[in-house]
Amino acid sequence: MKAVLALSEAVLADAVRKKVVWVVLVFATLLAFTVPSLPAYGGEVVSAVYRDVVLALMFAMSLVVGLALAVTRIPGEVERRTVFPVLARDVRRWQYVCATWGGMFIVVGLVVLAFTAIAIAVGALAYHEVMSVLLKGAFAAWLEAGVVVAVALLFSTRFSPVTSTVGALAFVFIGHSIPGLFTTLVGSGEHAAAPWWLPSLGVFDIIAPVAHGSGVSAVHLMGMSVAFVAWAALLLVLASLLFSGRDL
Amino acid sequence: MGEAGQAIRIEHARKDYGQMSGGRREAVSDVSFTVSVGAIHGLLGPNGAGKTTTLKMLLGLVRPSGGTFEILGKDAASPGARSPLGFLPEQPYFPSHLSALEALTLYGRLAGMGRSDVEEAAPGLLERVGLDGQAKTQLSRFSRGMLQRFGLAQAWLKTPSVMVLDEPASGLDPIGQRDVRNLMLEFRERGATVLLSSHQLSEVEAVCDEVTILNRGLVAARGHIDDLLNVKGQCSVTVRGSGPLPTEVEAVVTETASSGERRIFSIAEKDVRRVVDALDDSSWKLVSVVPKRDSLEDYFSRMLAATPEPATPESAPAAPAESAAPADPGTDVAEEVAQ
Repeated sequence: MKAVLALSEAVLADAVRKKVVWVVLVFATLLAFTVPSLPAYGGEVVSAVYRDVVLALMFAMSLVVGLALAVTRIPGEVERRTVFPVLARDVRRWQYVCATWGGMFIVVGLVVLAFTAIAIAVGALAYHEVMSVLLKGAFAAWLEAGVVVAVALLFSTRFSPVTSTVGALAFVFIGHSIPGLFTTLVGSGEHAAAPWWLPSLGVFDIIAPVAHGSGVSAVHLMGMSVAFVAWAALLLVLASLLFSGRDL
Repeated sequence: MGEAGQAIRIEHARKDYGQMSGGRREAVSDVSFTVSVGAIHGLLGPNGAGKTTTLKMLLGLVRPSGGTFEILGKDAASPGARSPLGFLPEQPYFPSHLSALEALTLYGRLAGMGRSDVEEAAPGLLERVGLDGQAKTQLSRFSRGMLQRFGLAQAWLKTPSVMVLDEPASGLDPIGQRDVRNLMLEFRERGATVLLSSHQLSEVEAVCDEVTILNRGLVAARGHIDDLLNVKGQCSVTVRGSGPLPTEVEAVVTETASSGERRIFSIAEKDVRRVVDALDDSSWKLVSVVPKRDSLEDYFSRMLAATPEPATPESAPAAPAESAAPADPGTDVAEEVAQ
């Protein structure tokens, strides 16, 4: 556990120095500030549209930051051989993979939290409304980014950053398409909704209820957490197995 | 379980890689050697001999295709087996955004040390490797030689019982190389066992108690470096002067090299007395008479020439070890590996 914590801290310290993290955060913040001032939205804009846009930004930002960090870490460490003094010690490959994921998950969480705080502040200034419901969206974006980081790490144990990015994006696309695909195939009616056990990322699609409705229930948040744990555990086990079988 | 007194035991190590063509390429065919506790053991060989792959298999960085690897009697792949081990990779790179102290703290924690223990040990450790006052300097500002020294410091964290050093003096200036040699001797004095992979004969000669020479994935020879490289029955004579050598000397000289007034030649051991007397009676001044020794480069060249190329890389059987050993009369004292 000591090794995992030490490595996670190192990943965290390295990640917060990466320009991409700050550039994405600043860019998303600028967009959040811009939304209420756009003429089309201006005075008539409803706060729901603002929430819609910042939630989309939140998901996109967490995806970009998570992918940018995850697809380069392991290939970079192997290429620069900085991984040798780590794994030559009594550190198991699964510990290395999990610690790397853990560090990145925390970084993405911090970035999402910072953006959420800014978005809530901008919302309060522009619409005189404390949009604490955005925290639920932030939670979903963070958990989904955790899954995406795990997928990207899984690919990056064997493939280049470009291939890993394509693989992770394909996973996200397919993961979000499955519930809709199921509904299309089954047709409308009372059995049209995708069953809970169907493996997908549909559980993280909460932009509409958070932006336009009253948010999501505690049960849904719990289900989301369970789905996150299941996905992350499965992907990290696969990533550890793949990385363990790799010659460095 | 390894025998008592063995810090490292490698038995029948083998590594082959799959190829795009569908065949297999053997990087290490059959390597076995042991390193005694408290010894400095050199692992030598030309490029592609399998040194680094063998070390990587021992350290769990490469999956062996076969063989046994033990560190202090424990299977090297088992949990905890590598905790008493320090490792310096070849041309080491470290996270460049960290300072020397931060990086030492990371590696120390990975080795099971507490943060405060590392912070306490770091200044002394950095001073010992010649990096005193550099604790807060970022590693990105370190020169190659400084990184090499830092590599030794991180390997020496927690005072390991076994050190594995891959080309530790690579890229260092002569002073740096001398410092590294002294450090290795200091490691041994403090009770550590050192397994050293190197190309540099001077480094190996100065510190190693015994060496294992690899060639094309096999153990070609092992023993003391003197026993391996000294040419049996031959001496090297250095003289200073000008003009032709005395006739008695010219008659027995086999190889000659000259530089200015200095001339170096080889003679048979039995002719030494006669040659010295003849030189005393001439205008030539005798500088030295020493046992003739091959350079490691010559040794490797002969070894490569003596080992036939495998017919096809993927299907070639492992060449017999005795054919890998050079046909050198000086190696008969060393243990040439025939099994």
